[in-house]
Amino acid sequence: MPRKLDPKDKYYIDNPGRVKAIQAEMHKRGIDVYLGSRIRTMSFVMDTFCPWRSYIIIPPEGQPTYFTFVVDALRIGDETWLDGDHVRAYGPMGGMDQISAITDYIKDEVGIKKGRIGYEDGISAYTAEGNLTHWEYTHFKDALPGFEWVNAHDIIDALSLIKDKGTIERFRTASLIVDEGHKAARAALENGGYNGMTETVIAGIAALAMRKAGSVSEWNFAGLNEISSGYRTGLGACTPPTTKEIKAGEPLMLDFHAMFKLALGDHSHNYLIGPATKRQRWHADNFVAIIQKVIDNYRAGTTPGTLAAIMMDYAESRGCGDFIQPACEHGIGLFGDEWRIGAVVNPDLPYWTDQDHVYQENEVVVCAMQYAAPEENIGFRYENDIVILKNGCEVMSKYPLGIEEIT
Amino acid sequence: MSENLEYLSPAWRDEALKRLQSELTPEKMNKVTTSMSNIYKNCPKGVDMFLFVECKEGKITRVETGTGEPPKAEFLITGNYETFARISRAELGAQKALMTGKLKLKGNLAKALKLAAVSDRLNKVLAKIPANY
Repeated sequence: MPRKLDPKDKYYIDNPGRVKAIQAEMHKRGIDVYLGSRIRTMSFVMDTFCPWRSYIIIPPEGQPTYFTFVVDALRIGDETWLDGDHVRAYGPMGGMDQISAITDYIKDEVGIKKGRIGYEDGISAYTAEGNLTHWEYTHFKDALPGFEWVNAHDIIDALSLIKDKGTIERFRTASLIVDEGHKAARAALENGGYNGMTETVIAGIAALAMRKAGSVSEWNFAGLNEISSGYRTGLGACTPPTTKEIKAGEPLMLDFHAMFKLALGDHSHNYLIGPATKRQRWHADNFVAIIQKVIDNYRAGTTPGTLAAIMMDYAESRGCGDFIQPACEHGIGLFGDEWRIGAVVNPDLPYWTDQDHVYQENEVVVCAMQYAAPEENIGFRYENDIVILKNGCEVMSKYPLGIEEIT
Repeated sequence: MSENLEYLSPAWRDEALKRLQSELTPEKMNKVTTSMSNIYKNCPKGVDMFLFVECKEGKITRVETGTGEPPKAEFLITGNYETFARISRAELGAQKALMTGKLKLKGNLAKALKLAAVSDRLNKVLAKIPANY
């Protein structure tokens, strides 16, 4: 049985309204049918965790129809708001391969034999964005000879920029779940608990705590929980954890990911495993002050470029400008959407953050900063989901800002 | 019955309906409501034929055979006459024929899979009708 949408639910999303908004934009552009393939598109429309290769066909009016790998179709049918007739499967059977199932559906059931078809193409930093592959594109095109193909992913990108109330509530809960991961990691590390512990083990401890608190994934489309310690922090970035052991005297970067009703909690917190040197403490204090400076400046009307300039100037004033990386955010949305800021594809640097994007109220982004001193084997990363407000921002992870020394 | 019936002929169709109704109870058919048209390509007489089966709340209500446009059905399965004939003679499994692309299915696969066992029961009854292919 599909899920009933309840407008009284604090996490309610008006998915039928989203579909109508997409269809209105299709109509404006003369698009007769939309073939979505990106994970973020499935999340935005289906409101269901769709990890297998999936496609969504949005007709000019009425419900969309979703296709996924047959092994997962029944679960998705139970979890989505779409009725059973609109949740389909493809599989290894004659006529049921991806190309046949979808093109037959468009021709026979949507009833469109020629026209303009919107599809999704582009590039991203993570493999599993879900853009149509070359093979898919050419074979779909061969099977639908009367169609003009139009790259139209920006319809979804623009519509998903401003978050509704239910989505923001989901992000709040996802962020508090991440805090549970950080509490569990902190408890495991203190009093010498870090001795003999690897990055992968601490990632697992946090994952378990977050799952117990309601998370269903550490984001399998990205790098799961990301952890760096010692020299690995030096580039200011987290990576998937390794089997490197956490050692005394080293910095430690913990970037935990939770997912609650597809909203992505994302908070990076840093520690110094004692004893810390004065120089390490100086770096840490710089980074905390810079984070606070940037958070204080987020508000509707500002831009990523403006915030980066404020951040760089402030770092320069503290004498640590050489260590701060010149960006302070990345985009965030429902599962599958952890990418650029803004919906505009800048022709000079396509598919990266639009530095002139003007923030609006109720956009959710990840405030994300990197501090990197590779020669000194130290670096930090901060991430936190924030919602942009008229005169400021709401920081969603409530884990206290700071870089503590753990012994 | 000792005489073989011509596969898909009116006599075969009548026998199919009789056997399906007597051997498949609504419980055996999981009380499903569905319909299916098999399209037989490259038949011996040089024309395409169809076999249509309708089931309401588990009871087989219609079996039709013929040429031309089949009645509208929830599922459409297309393949060569010889493939269907091999399935009816139990020389080839219907699932294998689908999985190897010898048969092509149109319809909601997620629903079709729920009906796989029911379809198998139906095929087994049809396969027991003495027929000339």
